[in-house]
Amino acid sequence: MTDTAPPNRQKARLNPVLSRYLQAFVMPKGQIGLGLVILLTALALLAPVLFPGGYDMQTRDSLLPASWAHPFGTDELGRDIFVRSIYGLRTDLALAATAVPLSMIIGTFLGLSGALSPRLGSLVQRALDIIVGFPGLILAICVVLVVGAGWTALLVAIVIGGLPGFGRLARATFLSQQHREYVVAARTLGVSNWKIMVRHILPNAIDPIIVQGAVFVVAAVFTEAALSIVGLGLQPPEPSLGILLNVGMRYITMAPFYILGPTLILVLLALAFSLLADALNSTVNRK
Amino acid sequence: MIETRQAPATQPLLRVEHLSTTFDMGNVSVRAVTDVSFDLYPGRVLGIVGESGSGKSVTARSVMRMLRSPGQVREGQVLLDGEDLLAIPEREMQAIRGKKIAMVFQDPQAALNPVMRVGDQIAEALLVHGTSAKEARKRAKALLAQVGIPDVERTIDQFPHEFSGGMRQRVVIAIALANNPTLLIADEPTTALDVTIQAQILRLLAQLRLELGISIIMITHDMGVVAELCDDLVVMYGGRVVEKGPVRDVFASPRHPYTAALLKAVPRLDAKGDEALIAIPGSPPVPLRLPSGCAFHPRCSHAIDKCFNDTPPLSSMGDRRESACWVAAAGGNVEPRPTDEFGRHRRQASGAAPTLRLDNVRTNVASSGGLFSKTPPVYAVDGISLEVFPGETLGLVGESGCGKSTLSRTIMGINDVSEGRIEVSGTDVTSMDLAARNLVAKTIQYVFQDPFASLNPRRTIGQSILEALEVVGVTGAEADNRVVALLIRVGLSEDYVSRYPYELSGGQRQRVGIARALAANPKILICDEPVSALDVSIQAQIISLLEELRDELGLGYLFIAHDLSVVRHISDRVAVMYLGRIVEVGTAEEVYGNPQHPYTVALLSSTPEPKPDQSTEHRVILTGDMPSPARPPSGCRFRTRCPIGPAFRSDREICNRQSPELAATASGQKAACHFAGEASLARG
Repeated sequence: MTDTAPPNRQKARLNPVLSRYLQAFVMPKGQIGLGLVILLTALALLAPVLFPGGYDMQTRDSLLPASWAHPFGTDELGRDIFVRSIYGLRTDLALAATAVPLSMIIGTFLGLSGALSPRLGSLVQRALDIIVGFPGLILAICVVLVVGAGWTALLVAIVIGGLPGFGRLARATFLSQQHREYVVAARTLGVSNWKIMVRHILPNAIDPIIVQGAVFVVAAVFTEAALSIVGLGLQPPEPSLGILLNVGMRYITMAPFYILGPTLILVLLALAFSLLADALNSTVNRK
Repeated sequence: MIETRQAPATQPLLRVEHLSTTFDMGNVSVRAVTDVSFDLYPGRVLGIVGESGSGKSVTARSVMRMLRSPGQVREGQVLLDGEDLLAIPEREMQAIRGKKIAMVFQDPQAALNPVMRVGDQIAEALLVHGTSAKEARKRAKALLAQVGIPDVERTIDQFPHEFSGGMRQRVVIAIALANNPTLLIADEPTTALDVTIQAQILRLLAQLRLELGISIIMITHDMGVVAELCDDLVVMYGGRVVEKGPVRDVFASPRHPYTAALLKAVPRLDAKGDEALIAIPGSPPVPLRLPSGCAFHPRCSHAIDKCFNDTPPLSSMGDRRESACWVAAAGGNVEPRPTDEFGRHRRQASGAAPTLRLDNVRTNVASSGGLFSKTPPVYAVDGISLEVFPGETLGLVGESGCGKSTLSRTIMGINDVSEGRIEVSGTDVTSMDLAARNLVAKTIQYVFQDPFASLNPRRTIGQSILEALEVVGVTGAEADNRVVALLIRVGLSEDYVSRYPYELSGGQRQRVGIARALAANPKILICDEPVSALDVSIQAQIISLLEELRDELGLGYLFIAHDLSVVRHISDRVAVMYLGRIVEVGTAEEVYGNPQHPYTVALLSSTPEPKPDQSTEHRVILTGDMPSPARPPSGCRFRTRCPIGPAFRSDREICNRQSPELAATASGQKAACHFAGEASLARG
């Protein structure tokens, strides 16, 4: 051994990847985003405890204005809109928490499939192009027509809608990485295509994918709302933010809080994940 | 050598005194340049030599006042014609930059604006200093002609991408010359270029210095370039000047151990091939962690106790010579002691069967084109036949774009073979099906040029080597032991298993790259420019390691490089490649001693050698650039640039019509030339 080694060792040897993501929560926007996500998730999770009456509990008065007892007023059947919004949030978060990771995993794999076989890779891209070619709502309506309106249809529509985004990001990483010398080096060693994909290309794709995931949570909630507004999502009486908006639209002049309340929750949700995505993005790209 | 190396004029043009530059990074202040002084006299060329981190570029940038933040000049004076450039306001400095001092950078690609016509870029340099537009264009044409750009009327309105690398560097020089500067600072101006192009640019600089009387500061790591162009020399190490003096005297009798070692660590073209390189141990210091005392002491074979604690001052060593060394100051010997010597045992081909055999291999590199269009084939490798025997090194020499990397990739199965046959250990692997691929991966391994790029930055050294072992089916505790054994084999230690590539120096990374290649117990290593990305003092270490491994393990090497001296040092046989074909092949002695093909002659003659007294007048310097493999010339592929071909001698019709075969020549080797042996080396 002749070279003298620069003796700087990385401090956080244990999990440098995780510690990098955690840095996102040091900056204010990351903190606010995380705080909002925790708050909203806690509200959604604890809804049955906080509001044991459930989302169908009626009072005697319908279409009450906002008050301390009913922060967003009551609906046409005298149900508390705040409570219904929280239960709606619960539905939406559950949907996003299922659909987004699913879309993320499938989309990433599809995008990286070029590492297994170049033909498969370009075939998949053309398929994703077709998905992009459909306007989101039309695509969702097609899914509903096939699967039938309901939770499953929403799930499928959101997962499919997210594939091109994740797929293309992963593809971009794959294309830039496949000619990197360490990937070529692995190929000359005889490492299998599958291992090259998982070991050498995937780790580079994860950063942009995670940011896209946070962005896509917002898109997922909006997709649910859009489908429910046109009546193709969940069916009443089950609450979702979209259904509340759908019904509330009819009473917009009589009870503006019917719309404003769920909208506020929706905006907070969007804000929370946008801030989170933003913070993650800046830590990931700072390196 | 150009005859202006007489005693300098009395008044220096540029006098740098006690220059110190630091980079303040948060709580640490890094000294990049410490107490640097030198004089540059009118009409002379000063070489500043050093390795990465030696402070040579920072010195130049300090002179130009173009330091990147947070760099800051702490002390010192930069006197240009007696005026201190560090004291004048920025506005005045702007007027001096470009007008009195101009700079030429390493990468002409990056220095030119890709969306601006070259004529406009030259004119811009004039316009900012107040020339009229019409006048500027006229001057731009004159400048382009002066730097040797052909067909100026047409080329002045072309964009940089329409120029080759060498032509772009000429444009950059034209821009630098636009305002008749008195001082030209060239920062590694030929490092990114091929040898034949480098020779063109060096000749141009020498000629400009004669014609315009311009003074040049030449920053380089290449002792050959210094010997060829410079009058005076400043050697920098660890941010300080360790030696300075006239080039001829410094080369004849270096007065600092570092200079002496550097000169010994570079293989020579005229070496017999059995001389050992004397490697400098260790690697150049990082400015952040400079050793105490003399920065060179950890690598110096002469270090005495005083060197560990006290920094030696630059002291006079006779006629215009200065050196900063305690040993030299006391009159001691500074020539490097051969510490670990790897003698060269030249072996004859043992009569064994070749491990790798290529028979008339062609590789098409044209993209497939898509569904509806058919692109014509481009053969980057066009009919190559060669053999590599166990325990033997076949050197493959050629300029960038000649197809040497495509050839190695074809052997590894990364590019498909279009025609011909590849045999590994007697088995045909041309098809590159699964069985063939496995055989190739077990038999042949690859050492990459850039050890940083070829190691995954997210994986530890251990993981990278384990992966190679996994492929050949070694797993578990056995694999862990093998990793350590491999690391020790290449001169590293167990500690490196859990380190990441960024924690290692360039030389250490290349050792890891070699260890990984050895994991599968290959019979052949393809070394693709394995030392060209490394510092000069590290190159000798890696070459010695490769030679040692070859002799101990009986490996066969296909050693690809553009540096002819390195190839000469390590190779038993040498093949010279031009535009997809082998133009000459033979033993190293034959090819270097008595080259038969004019291209080989030109390559050898273009390589700058660290011998300042060598005449450059009778050099064979090629004109123009290598044609594109998409449109190879008819007949002999070299005829467009050949100094003995139809471009210079119109009676040589045959070169236009008929492609010469690789045939045996009088002196033993094979050459592909109708007039083999006619061109010869004029060594002075």
